[in-house]
Amino acid sequence: MTQDEPFQIQFMLENGVNVASFTPPSFKDFEVLQGPSQMQGQSIFNGKRSEYIALSYLLQAKHVGNFTIAGAQARVNGNIVKSNPVLIEVRKGNAQQQQQQAAPPSAGIPSHRGQGGEDLPEGFLKKGEDINEKLKKNIFLKVDVDKTSIYEGEQLTATYKLYTRLPTNSSVTKVPAFKGFSAKDIELPNPPQATEERVNGIPYKVFTIRKTLLFPLQSGTLELDPVEVDNQVRLVKMVANKRGGANRNRDPFEDFFNDPAFKDPFFDDFFNRPEVEYQDVPYKIQSNPIKINVKPVPVDGRPISYNGAVGKFNMTAVLDKKKITTDDALTLKVTISGQGNVNLLNSPKIEVPTGFDRYDPKVTDDIEKNSNPLSGSRTFEYVLMPQEAGDHTIPAVEFSYFDPAANSFKTLRSEPFSVHIEQGKHIKQDKQDYGTGKNDLVKNETGILNWTRNHSWFIMSPWFYLLLLLPLLIAAGIIFYKRRKDYNTTNAAVLKHRYANKVALKRLELAARYLKEGKDKAFYEETSRAVWGYLSSKLKIPMADLSKQLVQDKLSARSINGSNTHELFNLIDNCEVALYAPGQDDRKMQGTYEKAVTIISNLEGALKN
Amino acid sequence: MLNNRNIKPVFFAIAWLLLAFTTANAQTPQINPQQRFEQANVLFSQSKYTEAARTYQQLLDEGHTQKALFFNAGNAWYKAGKTGQAIYSYEKALQLSPNDAAIKHNLAIANQKVNGFVEELPLVFFQQWWLQLQHLHKANGWAVGTVLLFWLLIAGILLNSFLPGWKNKFLRWGNYVIGTLCVLYLLMAIDTYLSSNNHESGIVMNSKIKAKTSPDENSRDAFEVGEGMKVHIVDATAEFCKIELADGKNGWISCAYIKRL
Repeated sequence: MTQDEPFQIQFMLENGVNVASFTPPSFKDFEVLQGPSQMQGQSIFNGKRSEYIALSYLLQAKHVGNFTIAGAQARVNGNIVKSNPVLIEVRKGNAQQQQQQAAPPSAGIPSHRGQGGEDLPEGFLKKGEDINEKLKKNIFLKVDVDKTSIYEGEQLTATYKLYTRLPTNSSVTKVPAFKGFSAKDIELPNPPQATEERVNGIPYKVFTIRKTLLFPLQSGTLELDPVEVDNQVRLVKMVANKRGGANRNRDPFEDFFNDPAFKDPFFDDFFNRPEVEYQDVPYKIQSNPIKINVKPVPVDGRPISYNGAVGKFNMTAVLDKKKITTDDALTLKVTISGQGNVNLLNSPKIEVPTGFDRYDPKVTDDIEKNSNPLSGSRTFEYVLMPQEAGDHTIPAVEFSYFDPAANSFKTLRSEPFSVHIEQGKHIKQDKQDYGTGKNDLVKNETGILNWTRNHSWFIMSPWFYLLLLLPLLIAAGIIFYKRRKDYNTTNAAVLKHRYANKVALKRLELAARYLKEGKDKAFYEETSRAVWGYLSSKLKIPMADLSKQLVQDKLSARSINGSNTHELFNLIDNCEVALYAPGQDDRKMQGTYEKAVTIISNLEGALKN
Repeated sequence: MLNNRNIKPVFFAIAWLLLAFTTANAQTPQINPQQRFEQANVLFSQSKYTEAARTYQQLLDEGHTQKALFFNAGNAWYKAGKTGQAIYSYEKALQLSPNDAAIKHNLAIANQKVNGFVEELPLVFFQQWWLQLQHLHKANGWAVGTVLLFWLLIAGILLNSFLPGWKNKFLRWGNYVIGTLCVLYLLMAIDTYLSSNNHESGIVMNSKIKAKTSPDENSRDAFEVGEGMKVHIVDATAEFCKIELADGKNGWISCAYIKRL
């Protein structure tokens, strides 16, 4: 830069919380024209929010020469952060202006401020030259990918580069999102270092904007988004007439070279630079999107233990103890190291035998910074709690990965571990009854079974109802039979009883007729017959067996005694006497008749009971 | 006697011929079930769980319903990784003997493999008693008991009413007791029949099934049911069954996914 040209120096502190102090370097060879001016802001980048504080000074060099501005110091969270020193070359009277900028090395976001070379002739805009054409030719973005067809999980390196031959102040306005990829940025030197590259024989200054390791997470055609860069290109424009009054006296040679003899355009360019004008041209450029064909990892020959690792790996598995008690915990440490998608490794499945409680593994990463291809290691720590005493074997840990270089799956296997476990002091509360572990099945039942087929439901079979009906039928039969028998015995007697009465009454009626007619013999005969007949049928005594004694026995058996029996026998005696000694008067006959009727009806009443 | 001896083999030959015709397609060797059961046990001990499970299942499919058979089938299916089948077998075994601690233990282990398993509320003490009472007799025991008690009751009533010598109050009270027992046995017989022919619960046989809010494939998803989950079937259309989980969630899934208990 020229001695008399003011320039800005900016210190940026990103993600700095609790900034305690800030010590700017000494600017002893410079004059501070303005500042410090402080600026704060925040930016969201790749979904990560970051805050920054910027301090800027406007400086002007006092002398010509090379100077180093030492880095600034800041105390952030108790740590001292230093920014990089900046080397500044101050020359006399050069028209180029440049911005310098310093940022702390801890910056996560590379700030891409291109430094255009001061003495590139492309910085001059010749007369009649089209600005757009010139910009297009001299500034462009390029995306470099190492492969365009990869396997899922295989590493892809994408580099976004800015090629320029013009002095430019560039800033990245849009960064790619890398949809479908897991991205890991490689840290770039800050401030960006230019390298030189020749494209079609023309040298370009190349700035790397972003270098990212990408791991596709899905298969198919994925697209890398373009990056967008805003440039402020400073072009030097030739002015035909000399009117740059301010510049005129700056150069002691100016007058001399302004001689008409030197007035030709070529000379103008190199020796005589008085009539120049700076023009800041905004120019927005975009890289081309790039399509990546991602192939799924082959299915054939995929081991069971494969779970997404792609690259080249080694595995170590260590069990911390060989002999413990049930009170302690075992730690199985599985370390997978190598190159590939180390940051995406899934925990290898561990077949823990029954008798152990397993917890989710603790994962720690040790990834080499800025390694390409990504290399490092990931450690899984499985904590195992033994539940049962005895000798146990933890089966070998198996880990498989896909090696894209060999296009095949590789399986790593550790040795199985044997552990001797002793009963600890804390005996488990819930003892199982089966002598098997809590997570063991109770053993199969063996022995001879009663092999009957699917039983039919007895309750739904007709037999059930028939058997219920059968006793009812039997009971009904018995009742019916009993009724019938009772009818035959009791009812027949009742009928005869009634009949006996009727017969007796009929005989007495006949006797009453004989009484009116005065046929005394016939009367007594009938009356006696009526009484005997009545007794015979009522007391169920056959006529031939009838005797006074039998009748008396029968009646007394039925507990009929006293006046009734006495009168009955009186009546019978009267009738017998009257039969064998006739000549009775009518009054006596009338009395006998009435007596017979009373006795029969009395007996009827007595026998009914 | 001689005649009889001649007839028997002929009869058997005919029976075998008939059997051969009917089972010609199946092509299964007709060894007796006990031998096949033991074969399956051997397969199981050789860790050939799927084969063992198939053999047990064949026996079950033929209509044998032994608790031990269901239990062993459950163990084999569990070891073979078929949680749904395992839980189905255990539940069946538990239906046959609801207080078997071994079945309960293994069922609990199998249920640990069920995604989103919700434990059913334990039975209240009187439900437990009822369950114990139900299993006091075998399936047909209650019906047989009903018949026997009924015979006794009728005999008692007849004795009491027709034989003057048997007419006493002890016999009368005895009749009352027998009558009450008879009615109880009849009710229990009906209850056992109904409850074992009740297919209102089932086991989900496929994993990761989305239960829908209505019986329609396009309706909104309500929740997900995993293989081996026990569900109650509250309602059903021709294709869809409305299921209710133990925690009260309900939704519709295709009936084809459920194996009814």
